[in-house]
Amino acid sequence: MTTGAVVVLDRDRTLVEAARRDPAQFDALYRKYLAQVYAYALYELADHHAAEDATERTFLRALAALPRFREQARPEDGPEASTFRVWLFRIARNVVANERRSRRRRSAASLDLALGAGLAIPDGTDLEADAVTRDEAAEALRAVRTLPDDRRRALLLRFVDEMSTAEIAGVLGRSEGAVRVLIHRALGSVATELGRDRRPGGRGRGGDRGPGARA
Amino acid sequence: MNAPALPSREHDGVDALVTDRYLETLLAAADRQADDTPADAGLDPDLRHAARVLRRSMLRIHPSFRFEERLAERLAGMAAQSRPMAATGGRSGTVVVFPDARRAGGSPGGSHGAPHGAPPDPLLDAILRGDLDPSDAAAMERAARPSLARRPLIVGGAITSAAISIIGVAWVAWRAAHPAEGAMTRAARTAHARRGPATVLPGGGLGGPA
Repeated sequence: MTTGAVVVLDRDRTLVEAARRDPAQFDALYRKYLAQVYAYALYELADHHAAEDATERTFLRALAALPRFREQARPEDGPEASTFRVWLFRIARNVVANERRSRRRRSAASLDLALGAGLAIPDGTDLEADAVTRDEAAEALRAVRTLPDDRRRALLLRFVDEMSTAEIAGVLGRSEGAVRVLIHRALGSVATELGRDRRPGGRGRGGDRGPGARA
Repeated sequence: MNAPALPSREHDGVDALVTDRYLETLLAAADRQADDTPADAGLDPDLRHAARVLRRSMLRIHPSFRFEERLAERLAGMAAQSRPMAATGGRSGTVVVFPDARRAGGSPGGSHGAPHGAPPDPLLDAILRGDLDPSDAAAMERAARPSLARRPLIVGGAITSAAISIIGVAWVAWRAAHPAEGAMTRAARTAHARRGPATVLPGGGLGGPA
């Protein structure tokens, strides 16, 4: 039994310890995770300014609370586990959730507009295929925006931040099994929306793309 | 012989595991535009397609360089105003923020100004003091909506006031329907009925009929 044993697995341990000794060293952790936190906030809030505000709050709060951060990696989290990242994203999740609550009554921004030309970057060799790709990407992101909170968060953390199931479980405070089911169902919802568009008479442009074309 | 059907919950778990395995390989591929990766035959092709679309679409977007540097400057300002842990001889301690940081609404380095005038964080002071854990969802929700914490008191007060009012009305109605009939009450009422109008006595006092 390894119960009670402190297992050091946090890949950020050195950086965290340096930042605890000298808060100026927090800069390394900030640079490492800035894009991840910002992208998560942007997909959640669909607004560049709101995402910047949320990112700023997340890192300021993380620096303020760093003396009380406790490393709690488990062996099953794997060699790439970072409990600092999980902790940081829990802070980000709380900041973003608060911002979403305060913005709920405002009209939802369009994520594809917020992301602009970054959507599903086409290679430019086949204009028709590029248009289908772009429409499909926009439709998929619209479907993501309508998912229930935990499903949407789990999907974002998996695809945008490339977190493991164990890390997502840590961020959301759920079991790994529950996270797998959340992601599976979220993907199912997105697939349903995309399938609706691909069927003849659907909303999108990819009606001629049957399952065989996708294999 | 057919295999016994799994309960839907377990079936979900198995499907989710298959999906998870596919995502592991899909997301591990270095090239986000890669066409596909091998998948379990049991994986729903529509779901596989959705995963590939999301893999291509959900790109990690970097904020502007200007924002990155401005926030780095704010963090450095906050770090400079904090007491390094080394100064405590390696013992655990708390970050001490100088008053000018608090004046900026709890945002150290606030004099630099947040990008596009972001409002200062009202909870940062409590986090610095260690009174609030920013990773605790329930605590942060309570702290962000203090009016919610007060609402039960207001509701409770309103209920109490209403209850007191209802009791008062009921008591008055009961007293009107049930006049007191004790011996002393009857005697007082009789004496009152026999009294004539008050007269002014020569000494200036009040008196009844002689």
